Amino acid sequence: MRLAVAGVIASIGLAATAAEGPVAPDFALASTAGTNYRLSEYRGEVVALVFWASWCGDCRRELERFERLRRTYGNVGFVVLGVNLDKEPAQATALAGAAGIGYPVLLDSAKDVSKSYRADDLPLIVLIDRHGAIRARHQALDEREERGLLVNLRDLIDE
Amino acid sequence: MKSALISVLAAIVVSLPAFAADAADPVTAPEADRSALDGEVQSLRREVVDLNRDLFMLEEDLLFPASTQVAVFVSMDVGTFFALDSVQLKVDDKEVANYLYTEREQDALKRGGVQRLWLGNLKAGDHEVTAFFTGQGPHDRDYKRGTTLKVEKGVGAKYVELKVSDKLTKLQPEFVVRVWE
Repeated sequence: MRLAVAGVIASIGLAATAAEGPVAPDFALASTAGTNYRLSEYRGEVVALVFWASWCGDCRRELERFERLRRTYGNVGFVVLGVNLDKEPAQATALAGAAGIGYPVLLDSAKDVSKSYRADDLPLIVLIDRHGAIRARHQALDEREERGLLVNLRDLIDE
Repeated sequence: MKSALISVLAAIVVSLPAFAADAADPVTAPEADRSALDGEVQSLRREVVDLNRDLFMLEEDLLFPASTQVAVFVSMDVGTFFALDSVQLKVDDKEVANYLYTEREQDALKRGGVQRLWLGNLKAGDHEVTAFFTGQGPHDRDYKRGTTLKVEKGVGAKYVELKVSDKLTKLQPEFVVRVWE
């Protein structure tokens, strides 16, 4: 009986491992507002990390898209954290203000976090599930890819 | 005809409990199995948690033996005059930890929580532990303060506590470093 139970647990574990992605590297960063944020404090919620910089042409569109998504899905456990790679925080604050985003903008001027997430091309969107595993990565989105992102996002919220 | 009908109805009524019992059996049996399975799963889960704890302790004993182990803890007493933002820790002028505190962590420290900032190995002898605290001091002014302690590492494990407390006489924060024997 115990072996059977162990087998069931092992198979559940394997299934879960197969479905999940790698664990999202934890980090703590200061935001433009002066507050510090730590990724691991959002376990239990679906998190989108949006890596961006003021010099990246496609980034503003993604910032605005994720503001819309935050307003739609924010009350069902969806959190957006912008991670800015500019050297000067003022540049991040200016563009975030102009784009009208209401989610935290975290400052990664040392680029330690962007390196750990391999954010070589911007914008980069990383979707993290409620267990802290990376489940999808997206670059700048066209219409078809946006539909894919929405499917991924709704699946993660429903899990 | 009427008596035949009555006898058929009576037979049906009499046989209903039997049907009900037959129908209940297949339901009760899997439920009993399921609760037994749940019990087994819970017991296995407990064993896994216990094993994980033992392995963690074993790992710590192996990686940080008492003869070289040094741990640095951060605590906060009241914290009215200081909102902790980060702590940078240097041992023998080498940075070993740099920790940013979120609001939740600050709150936990204020409510009496103690955080293990760093756990490492140092050989026996004299060492210098320096901590730099940054945050907001009285009147919301940016505040940075360093504190240094000479630590003599002996044969046993060494525990160092960095404590932020309020100095009411000066209305300023106070940073205290002490060694637990």
